[in-house]
Amino acid sequence: MGRIVFGGAMSHVLDPEYYQAACGDLGRQKVIEAMDAIARMGDRLVERKPDALIVVADDHMNAFSFNCVPALCVRIGKKVQRMTQDNAEAFDKVLDHMANEYVLHEDLANSILEQGVVSGFDLALSWEAPVDHAFLSPVNTLLGPRAIPSLVPIFVNAFIAPQPTARRCFQFGQHIAQVVSKSPWAVGMIATGGLSHFPELLLSRVGETDTAFDRKLIHWMERGEHEPLLDLTADELHKTGSHEFLNWMVLLGAITPARADVRYFGELPRINLAAVEWRL
Amino acid sequence: MSRYAINSLLYHLKKDPDLRARFIEDPRAAIADADLTDAERVAFIAGDMRKINELGGYLHLVMSIPKIGTHGGH
Repeated sequence: MGRIVFGGAMSHVLDPEYYQAACGDLGRQKVIEAMDAIARMGDRLVERKPDALIVVADDHMNAFSFNCVPALCVRIGKKVQRMTQDNAEAFDKVLDHMANEYVLHEDLANSILEQGVVSGFDLALSWEAPVDHAFLSPVNTLLGPRAIPSLVPIFVNAFIAPQPTARRCFQFGQHIAQVVSKSPWAVGMIATGGLSHFPELLLSRVGETDTAFDRKLIHWMERGEHEPLLDLTADELHKTGSHEFLNWMVLLGAITPARADVRYFGELPRINLAAVEWRL
Repeated sequence: MSRYAINSLLYHLKKDPDLRARFIEDPRAAIADADLTDAERVAFIAGDMRKINELGGYLHLVMSIPKIGTHGGH
């Protein structure tokens, strides 16, 4: 019988150069601290010998342009490529030093997809969508030079309204847990992004966070009280810059009612960096 | 506001180096065929990413187009 053996969530631009440019020396210092905490989380992930690692993250208009924006999409196939960008800048640049190709856990991805559709989740699927920093920066920081388990990337539309609801993301996570429980695999699962940054997705508000809101989310996660989180609205997430918490909601659905331990929380003007791990 | 037209143009400026080069050389000519409102066209020609964002341009695109995007403060 399969089991989710590791659950974690973390910010997903894990790059000292990016934060040096954005926030100066303090930014560099804090993201290095966050990265160290995430690498230690990776130690515990490796100890549990996962057969697969599910990565729940959002696209930044790199894989899905305005030709199609799926609410929830399972990346299937045998391999996934990282997003490529000529003359990459800002958060895209973090990908430059990373491997181009990653092995997928095809059977687990297909199971999540096929059983999901049977269960009423109208999931999108993709054989070709590349993954950007939201997937690969956390994976590479968790594991460093160590072997990367076969991945199952899952895309959540965190940014392009109308997004899936927090409740629906949570329910999808519950579905994933059911699939894993019926499988033979030990599965790690991470969600990425956040915490609060870029409220209302306005350039004029880059540099604002909502620490009170973040601490409220953490409070509930630490206590394993997930019910209040189901009622988070798109408006709340948008105004507080918590769009990417939808990714975390999928993870919460999969591991509920486990309690969270905060491994790192660091306030910066640009974003509140976080790394959280669940007691499974 | 033509949200689609703005974002389609931003996306292609990010992903198409030839279009980007033509835009940097002569923005007015590069976007002549784009289906934009007058306000949108003025903002693109001025390279005013803040205005483009306010008009509906997706934040992560206006922040990450090589040589054109703005990374924002902080």
